[in-house]
Amino acid sequence: MNEEIGRRLREIEEIRDFFVVGKKVARVDALDAVLGKPVYTSDLITGRPLYVKAVRSTHPHAHIKSINISKALNMPLIHAVLTYRDIPGLNDAGSLIPDRPLLAYEKVRHIGEAIALVVGEELERVEEAADQVEVEYDPLPVVTSPREAMRPDAPRIQDRDNVVTHFKIRKGDVEQGFRQSHLILERTYRTQHIDGLPLEIEVAYSFWGSDNILTCISTMQNPFDVYNKVAQILGMPKERLRVIQAATGGGFGPKSDETPIDVAAYACLATLKTGRPAVSAFTRGEAMTVQCKRHPFEITHRVGVSRDGRLQAWKSTLIEDTGAYISKGHLVIGRATFHCTGPYEVPNVWADGYCVLTNNTMAGSTRGFGAPQSHFAAEMMMDELAAELGMSPAEIRRRNILRVGGLTATSQKIEDPGLEICFERALQITGFERRYAELKSRKDWPIRRGIGLALLYHGNTLGPEGDDFASVATWVNQDGTVTVQTGLTEFGTGAITSLIIVTAETLGIQPDRIKLERPDTLAIPNSGPTVASRTTPIGGRAALDAAVKIRQMVAAVVSEILGVGAENLVFRESKIYPRDMPSKSISWKEAVEACHKLGLELKASGYYIAPPTKWDPETGQGSPYNQYTFGALVSEVSVDMETGVVKVDKMTAVYDVGRAINPLGLVSTYESGSIMGLGYALLEEIIHEDGRLLNPNLHTYIIPTTVEAPSKIESVIVESPGPMGVYGAKAMGEIPVVLPAASIANAVANATGVFIRRLPLRPDRVLSEIGNLKY
Amino acid sequence: MRQIRFTVNGGRYEVEVRDNERLVDVLRNKLGFKSVKEGCGVGDCGLCIVLVGGRPVNSCLALASRMDGEEILTVEGLGSAEHLHPLQRSYIEVGASQCGYCIPAALLVTHSLLSRKSRPSADEVRLALRSVLCRCGSYLRFEEAVKVVSGDE
Repeated sequence: MNEEIGRRLREIEEIRDFFVVGKKVARVDALDAVLGKPVYTSDLITGRPLYVKAVRSTHPHAHIKSINISKALNMPLIHAVLTYRDIPGLNDAGSLIPDRPLLAYEKVRHIGEAIALVVGEELERVEEAADQVEVEYDPLPVVTSPREAMRPDAPRIQDRDNVVTHFKIRKGDVEQGFRQSHLILERTYRTQHIDGLPLEIEVAYSFWGSDNILTCISTMQNPFDVYNKVAQILGMPKERLRVIQAATGGGFGPKSDETPIDVAAYACLATLKTGRPAVSAFTRGEAMTVQCKRHPFEITHRVGVSRDGRLQAWKSTLIEDTGAYISKGHLVIGRATFHCTGPYEVPNVWADGYCVLTNNTMAGSTRGFGAPQSHFAAEMMMDELAAELGMSPAEIRRRNILRVGGLTATSQKIEDPGLEICFERALQITGFERRYAELKSRKDWPIRRGIGLALLYHGNTLGPEGDDFASVATWVNQDGTVTVQTGLTEFGTGAITSLIIVTAETLGIQPDRIKLERPDTLAIPNSGPTVASRTTPIGGRAALDAAVKIRQMVAAVVSEILGVGAENLVFRESKIYPRDMPSKSISWKEAVEACHKLGLELKASGYYIAPPTKWDPETGQGSPYNQYTFGALVSEVSVDMETGVVKVDKMTAVYDVGRAINPLGLVSTYESGSIMGLGYALLEEIIHEDGRLLNPNLHTYIIPTTVEAPSKIESVIVESPGPMGVYGAKAMGEIPVVLPAASIANAVANATGVFIRRLPLRPDRVLSEIGNLKY
Repeated sequence: MRQIRFTVNGGRYEVEVRDNERLVDVLRNKLGFKSVKEGCGVGDCGLCIVLVGGRPVNSCLALASRMDGEEILTVEGLGSAEHLHPLQRSYIEVGASQCGYCIPAALLVTHSLLSRKSRPSADEVRLALRSVLCRCGSYLRFEEAVKVVSGDE
């Protein structure tokens, strides 16, 4: 970065008087959405493509004795039936770890694993033919419990130990801490599989495009992951492949993992074999079977506190079921373990996190990435400790929360007061302490009310999970409009609008003058994955870098015209003027024209990479993240003591976003995560029985509807800028989904006096847990 | 096969359909109304909702052959970029659209509700919208958008 850019960056960071940032801005894609424009993958299919359907395993664990495709191949309108033998390149589709064949050979390891692909005309004919592919299995013992899978004599899922990762935190002397404790509690918490469930189902459309390039349009979070992997599978030089992300109807994690690679590879293989355009699309049931789920966890905490409620020692065992292939399980366990004590200062910590293979369906990235599980357990533990000590949940937190200078479980020093501010604001807005005490003493029947609190810290962006970089290309068109293109994707989070806002702010123009080009591997360099709530903080820095470079080019020209030093020019409200003489301005449009007359191409690439983070894998000690998002959530619930039905009446969500780049977008994100988290807390569970799925459909897997949504969600924005994100912004996309389970479960405990340590809090579970409890 | 006549967004169409052809397929594939989304094919998610005679219908469960003489509305018929329907404008203003995939269905359901009742209560809005799943959880935004249009805010 040259001096001038550095100076400008510092200047911008110091600005408080933003022109666009923090103002109400409509999302760039909202107009298309309300007009119902054909922007999603399946809207873009033309002509009569071939369809591709996968033949999927009907056993969760078995040797494949034979695959007989001849019957299917001879059916009318069928063009090809492909098995692992027909893969020209590498038969591996694992998004990060190369442990997952695109098409199974020798063995299947979970239900629904793809074995063959049927390609033909008319979807119904192809589905019929897929039923005629004969697979002979030799069943193997099925391992579905991670505890069983951890035993040395357990059947192996892959040709490796079932325990993939043993993640450790060793801080201080935990046994010494227990000896100093007045009270020691040990509790086990369990969470379930859920499906992130983007409503747009996986679909990919491939065809030979111009210049003999195999082109694939699809719905996904990470076009470059798909691009790199599919090229490898096809055994094709990368320059002959092009991947374009169409508008994407929801991501939530599953669309960053395995299935986008699968559908794209299926379609591309079919096009490669037949020369024809091809469409590969999952059904809802297929998607719910093979999409990566949220990992189920079993978390055991043994925690010691002093008489006055100060945490002395915290020992945890976290066991994570990642299913038959690793996907992102080895990283999710890391995030969960790093955050296992909750946002509290504990002098002595010992934690063991295990990522374990089983014959269940794969788990991977799901919004929150291990944080919802670890916060559920830690935040309930805090309430249980408070209850045992006869202390309020607020007071025990007040005595232990991470304040400025406090040390996390990894001994990372906290740099900003975001958590304290969120905590106190949440208490004050909800009158938590008074309400909690009042509701605790009431014994209403049958509807009992409760209020619950949970606090959050969330290590920002990738940290130890990968290279945290982004790139953005920005150019100015002749008419003064600006185009921004990046490989970071929009799939509902609204973060791409933040990149537009940052660009608009820097160039001093309105956001509606800025257009967005679709992510296209042919046009732009890799921008890293769109995961970990990275787009605003990290992508924003890259957008800022590109915009600052353009601004510099324009400033040099305007400086000549106005006879003022470039460093004294202000770009604001579509004008450029000397700082001390606003009346002597020229318009943005005039400036752009002047640049074009000089033959200056106003185009720049922006890049940012976060500083590397360091921690010791043997002790977990160090600084795994560059900054933390903080937050507090208060849920108010009604529990029907006769039916066990829990209703969330109100949520008060207070998050430290660092800097509110797009406040309207933040309100949507707060509500979105709160409601998705409510589903995790109360309703959702993908049920496996001996490795088979019982409810891969939307009538027995229930996600929240309008009826379950709280009557009110109060969204409170706290700004305690972080050192890394653009203008101090912190990661926010995933964050609001993390706390609802903890805060709702704590509210139910406030209402009923019973801590229910297993999710979801379905009526039957609530009833059996409150059991004999009668007024 | 049979010939049916119906209107979609005010335009008259005469189409030949198979007896078992679903309305969603005819609207999307034969007539090009791509705003109609399919999310499950069995009536669980509501993404394929269109208005038939002003009432919300899951077009994945409706047979096109039964639509003879009906008036159908999809979001393409609600407004245009130049002339947005007030509901479309309010959806944008309150930040109701996130991934956008359920927006056509949610717009049609709220439009249908408002055409029957100009100032629905919050409960009525919720009851009507129960038929549309939104994984982004924009439910409170939809409610807000209806309030803006019905003049409650």
